[in-house]
Amino acid sequence: MRLSVAEAFQRYGDRLFAAAFSICRNQMDADDAVQDALIQYHKLGLDYADETHIKAWLLRVAINRAKDLSASFWRKNVVSWEEYMDGLAFEAPEDSRLFQAVMELPPKYRVVIHLFYYEEYSIREIGEILGRREGTVKSQLNRGRKLLKNMLKEEWNDDE
Amino acid sequence: MTNKELYQRAFSTLHASCDPVMEVEKMKRARKKRFHKPAAVAAALVLVLGLASVAYATDIGGIQRSIQLWMHGDQTDAILEVENGHYSLTYEDADGNVRHQSGGGVAVGMDGKARPATEEEILQELNSPEVVYQEDGTVWVYYFDQKVEITDKFDDRGVCYVQLKDGDGVLYMTIKDQSGYSASRHSYPNPRSFN
Repeated sequence: MRLSVAEAFQRYGDRLFAAAFSICRNQMDADDAVQDALIQYHKLGLDYADETHIKAWLLRVAINRAKDLSASFWRKNVVSWEEYMDGLAFEAPEDSRLFQAVMELPPKYRVVIHLFYYEEYSIREIGEILGRREGTVKSQLNRGRKLLKNMLKEEWNDDE
Repeated sequence: MTNKELYQRAFSTLHASCDPVMEVEKMKRARKKRFHKPAAVAAALVLVLGLASVAYATDIGGIQRSIQLWMHGDQTDAILEVENGHYSLTYEDADGNVRHQSGGGVAVGMDGKARPATEEEILQELNSPEVVYQEDGTVWVYYFDQKVEITDKFDDRGVCYVQLKDGDGVLYMTIKDQSGYSASRHSYPNPRSFN
């Protein structure tokens, strides 16, 4: 099956942006990653099993693109995530503290935490999207959680 | 509130501000070309290229090459420069005007990983057929020295199928009226597989 680019962007655009932002921590690069992912989606014209497959494919492409952009020389002159965060309308103060704590995590933990808590992917699915072994993902998830707990104290629960 | 609920609430404040839909529409209007690689090839090539066909290339030193270019069925000399997946092309059109076009491309694997297209890949892509919608309403396919008018060849669904022959055999081409085209060495690409 396929969705039009407009449908795919409507359904997954914000999710792709959030995942890309968890990698590059920069609005412009995250937007570029989303755009590139959807342009590739359009150009490759692949056939997908279902919408779950489309979403996972788009996330993988956007994440890989965000990694490429993060490593690019041209991204040095960018707005910091702290400045971008100032313009976000968080519902509650603890939301902004969580956002800040996640942004301060090492990149390899950030994206795993994001895919687990935001996209609700399993460890196996995260491994498939990121091309990492399940054991590695599990370890990175645990370390990320511990770091969040240290930073957020009682605002971060002990649940999974 | 669970960690997941807290996390989802916090990150739901993020919104994409790009407009990929408009970008794709622009690409369609510009009639950028797509070329289907054989299924056995792991990486699908995605290139943003201009409207030109290349006969062959010879080294003139460095990354700059002198090539012969097929432009709407006419052959002309051109200078091609390729660097890190980007190319620029300078040539003289049929009216003697110096034209310049440039573009770039990436090869994209099934995992979405991109790398700059190689010179060989760019040349190969420049070699692919092109569909031109003329101002007089006619529609033409150009491929090297071949040109085929397909204005009245579209079926009820607005799809036209064309076979092009070259030294490597037959190239099967599927064209959707005003909606892109694709070609394959093996069979006609399914019209639903591209936009």
